[in-house]
Order: sequence, then structure tokens, then C-alpha cells
Amino acid sequence: MIDLPEHNILVSPIGDLDSSLIDQIMKGVSDCFRYPVIKKSLIEDMEFAFDSLREQYNSTLLLEKLSPMIPSNTIKVLAVCDRDLFIPILTHVYGEAQLNGRVSIISIYRLKDNLPLINGQSVFFQRVIKEAVHELGHTFNIRHCPDKSCAMHYCHSIGDVDNKSNQLCRYCDTLLADAKKKAGPSL
Amino acid sequence: MSEKKILIVDDELIMRESLAGWLERDGHFVDKAGSGEEAIEKVKDIKYDIMLVDIKMEGISGLDVLKKVKETDPDTEIIMITAYGSISSAIEAMKNGAFDYLLKPFDPNELGLLIEKVIKHQSRIRENLYLKEQHRERTRFESMIGQSKPMQEIFDLIQSVAPMNSTVLITGETGTGKGLAAKAIHTKSQCSEGPFVTVNCGSIPEHLMESELFGYQKGAFTDAKETKKGRLELAHGGTLFLDEIGEISMRMQIDLLRVLEDHIFYRVGGTQPIETNFRVIAATNRDIDKAIKDGSFREDLYYRLNVISFKMPSLCERKEDIPLLAEHFLYRFSQETNKPIDQITRETIDELMLYEWPGNIRELENAIERAVVVSKSRKILPEDLPIFQPAKPQISQHHSLREIEKFHIKQILNTNNWNISKSAEILCIDRSTLYNKIKRYNIQKSD
Repeated sequence: MIDLPEHNILVSPIGDLDSSLIDQIMKGVSDCFRYPVIKKSLIEDMEFAFDSLREQYNSTLLLEKLSPMIPSNTIKVLAVCDRDLFIPILTHVYGEAQLNGRVSIISIYRLKDNLPLINGQSVFFQRVIKEAVHELGHTFNIRHCPDKSCAMHYCHSIGDVDNKSNQLCRYCDTLLADAKKKAGPSL
Repeated sequence: MSEKKILIVDDELIMRESLAGWLERDGHFVDKAGSGEEAIEKVKDIKYDIMLVDIKMEGISGLDVLKKVKETDPDTEIIMITAYGSISSAIEAMKNGAFDYLLKPFDPNELGLLIEKVIKHQSRIRENLYLKEQHRERTRFESMIGQSKPMQEIFDLIQSVAPMNSTVLITGETGTGKGLAAKAIHTKSQCSEGPFVTVNCGSIPEHLMESELFGYQKGAFTDAKETKKGRLELAHGGTLFLDEIGEISMRMQIDLLRVLEDHIFYRVGGTQPIETNFRVIAATNRDIDKAIKDGSFREDLYYRLNVISFKMPSLCERKEDIPLLAEHFLYRFSQETNKPIDQITRETIDELMLYEWPGNIRELENAIERAVVVSKSRKILPEDLPIFQPAKPQISQHHSLREIEKFHIKQILNTNNWNISKSAEILCIDRSTLYNKIKRYNIQKSD
């Protein structure tokens, strides 16, 4: 059994995802939250969350499944998938997180929309990192931020995602610092 | 994003939970109700900014919740949630005051934009209320109302005069609000915690004035069964407002002057000097200069009172305040009489503006009170104001041509606010002829 670093954030890919993308996510998460970030697939199959009527995957069910699987040294989990996610009341979501909880998930499915011809992959990676930081931010009890450049800003369109940064604004960063004091020592 | 208090009303647990989670991450305080009944119970205790209500529910429907909440809390904005097949119910809800509706399941962007729209709408309403309040504050000073330049100057003057302890003399015609000005000075003064004691010098009979002002000792006269404090003593630590000061007798003027100089007096029949400390504000509608000249008012008392003085403008000098005052009185009297009158028509305002108001604000107040009583609609019409009822010609076959001419000229002059040129033009005579006729028939403004 491998020893996991204390107070880590675990990135959990679901299914076959590009490893360079996962590396980019891990780096982005580490830069922002300053915790050791590890990779481990907690679940391989997400079909149990499939809704045949909507032909989408219920993100709330995925979070529920992941919750009891969190390793003891892990403070937060970010699951990453490539399927279209939904919550029952909404048509779709880019991701979902337990506010002030431990589990979050993002989907790269809709983040591939309207990519520019030049630097398309770099823009796509940036979008994924921003959403990863955004959903993990919720697990640190940070809510949506009115600052359009903050990673916690709620985006109405993919263009808004491109316009925000992958970092937290000063205000959200303070909230993160408060939450980290409770969560345990970071790097 | 400003935090809002949101209530989700849906009988499907999964819908409630997923929506609540999304809204919480958006930074709002979210509460949930699983039925219309539960929602109605919750709104009794908590005031929500926004409610998201499912139309189709067992028991009390979303539409019923909407109607009930709008009755008690019209400021709460309600967004209806409906399934694709029941848009007609959503439209029905919009007619009943719903802010908007969302079709289940909804696009997160649509929900986000709608919540933002409600927040902007509510903040606009709050801003309007704030601006109205600011306007109210600008046009009201304590109990005084006025946006006109003369009144704004009076408000400024009171503001600067109030903190001083100097004696103030307020002049001005009857009904111009001298008493309110005196009260405002007291309220803004350092002695505002103390009493504000009014002595209406014009209404207290002269033989009672002495005991009223100075009080009396038990046994001072036949009816003095016990010792009674006078107004001077009661005003200690506060303000003594001597209204209609021009009406007091020469003897009282001498007594008053002595008190103002020494702040010591004796009760009627008393031998013990009483020291008192109060600020004096006096008011009069009389021409005090003239009264001094004709010897009915003491010059030394006048100088003692006239440390700071100002004149309250007549209503005629601040006509632009008439609509504001009229609306204030309308609101007051419609509340007092419980009559749902909420408007003064433009024609009525025009009539109010044309009139000269010799009795000033008091006369306007009485006119609006009477209009509220006689009005048979939700509006005050010109005919509700007694002063503007067109005079019925009181001419009979027995009147001479001279009497009829006098009556007609007077009518035209009054109708045209005594504008000589305009009246002459209507009468088809030149101005000098009109002047001659006014003089010859002894027609006066007050006729």
C-alpha cells in the first residue's frame, strides 16, 4: 500500500482521460490551493449515474458514490470525467461540488465547445483548470464571486470562462486561507 | 453577487435539493419547503427576497402560494417553476404577479440570469425608495414641509440658529407655521430634552395671564386651593414659546421683560424668588415696529426678544410648495377619515395655485380637509374646494345696471387673480377705465 501525503487533494479521473490533461489539472490545483496533489482513480465506471431519458449523467449521484471512498489523508477530491453531467433541476452542469464538503466533480464534455483554431488545446486545458479550481473552491466553502476575473465567478457562457483567470481574487483567497486553517496544514 | 434569502417550494425532494445546492454555491441563503402549506407557514416568520415555486403540487398549488404571498408580502419576487406542458398556468401566474417562470429542467445560465434580473429589479426599487426618502428629507424639516427657496432658507436658518441659546423672534402672517418653526428650533437645540412650553398670549384672558405665566401660591386668591406652577417654571430647562406676543398687555410686557432679564420671578402671592432657565422663542403676526410707534409694545422688550429674528413666508410667497402641502394634507385627512382618496387632479392644483390664500397654510389645510369630507370619488376635484365654487350670479330683476356692472367686474377680477391687464382685456375696456371703475364702485380684493 502506497503512503499518501498528509492533507492532500486527490484528483480522480473517471474513465480513459488524457494523462497530460490530468497533469495540467494537478499542477493548476496545486498552484492555487498549495496542497500536495495526488492522482488516483476512485471509480472506473460511471454508468450507474446514467439517466437514459436525459442521456446524461447525474453528478449528484456521482458525488454520493465518491464520498465514502475518500482516502483518510485526503482532504478534498476532484473527480474528472468526459461525460455530460446534470443535476435534476438543470439542463446541464460543468461540474458540481459539495459546498464546504469534500467531494467535487467536473466534466470536460462542454468545455470543448467553440475552441479557437489557434492554441485550441491550451485554451481547453485552461478552461478545465479554471473549472477544477472553481469546483474545489466550493468544497472550501467559497461561493460564487462577482469579480469576473476570479476563478469563483459564475460563468454564463464558455466565453465568460475564457475571460476569467485560474486564480482566486484577493477576497476569495482570504476565504480560502480561513478554510485552510480548519482543513489542515498546506505546503 | 449580493446574498438573497430564497425559498424553494417543490414537492419533489430531488428538485429541491439540487436547486438548493446550486443556489447555495451561488452565495444565497436557501430555505426549502416541500409543500404549499409548508411554504405559507414559513413566510409567516421569514421574509424572503425571492421564492422559486413549483406550480403543480399536491394540496395548496403554486398559484395559491403565489396569491397568498403577494397579498402579505408584495416585495417578495416569485419565480414559478413549471413542466413543459403547463405553460398556460405559468402565464396565469404572471398575471397574478409572478416575476417570471422557468421550464423544468432549466438551463443554469437562464436561472443565473433570472436571479440577477430579480436582484437588479429589487435594488432599483430600494434605490427609488432611498431617493424618495432623500427627497422627503430635503422637503421636510421636522414637521415643516417645503421645497421652495424661501422655505429651504428657513430650514437652513433654523439649523444654524437652533444650537445657540439666543432668543428668537418669529414674525409672519397667521397660519404660516410660526409654531412649527419654534418647535423645530427647540427640537434641534441643546435643550431639546427639556420641555417645550407654549403660551398662547392671544387666547389667554388678560386677568388669567399672570397666574398662567407665573403660577400661584396656595391661598393667593379665593380659588387658589393649592400651589400651582406657572408656564415659566414648567419651561425650566427647555423652551418657552410665547405665541402671539404682540397681544400681551403693557403690564405683562413689563413683568415679562423683568423675567427675561433676571430669570427670577415670584409666583402670584409668593414671596420666594424662583430662578428659572429657559430659552425664549416668541412669535407674532403683528407689525411690531408699528406697535412700538403707536406705544402698544415696549421697545425694550422688543429688543430683548429680537436677538435673532426671521419672517415666515406667506403661502403666496412659496406657491410652489402648494402641491406638496396639499398632497401631505390629503394623505393625512384621507387616513384620518378612512376615505380612499389618493389624488388631487391637475385642475384642482391649478385652482389651488391661483388662489391667494390669505389664511396661509391653515386655510389650505382646512380647504383640503373639507374637500376630503365632501369628495365622492378617489380624486379631489375643483368643485370639492368650497373657495372655488363658481359664485352663482345673485342678480335679479331688481338690481340696477350699476350693481350688475360692479358684480361683473368683481367676478372677472377675482377669476383672473386681480390681474388688471387681463381683466381689462376680457371686459373690453382699457386699464385706466378699469382702475376708475374699481375706485368708483369701491371694489376690494377681500370683497
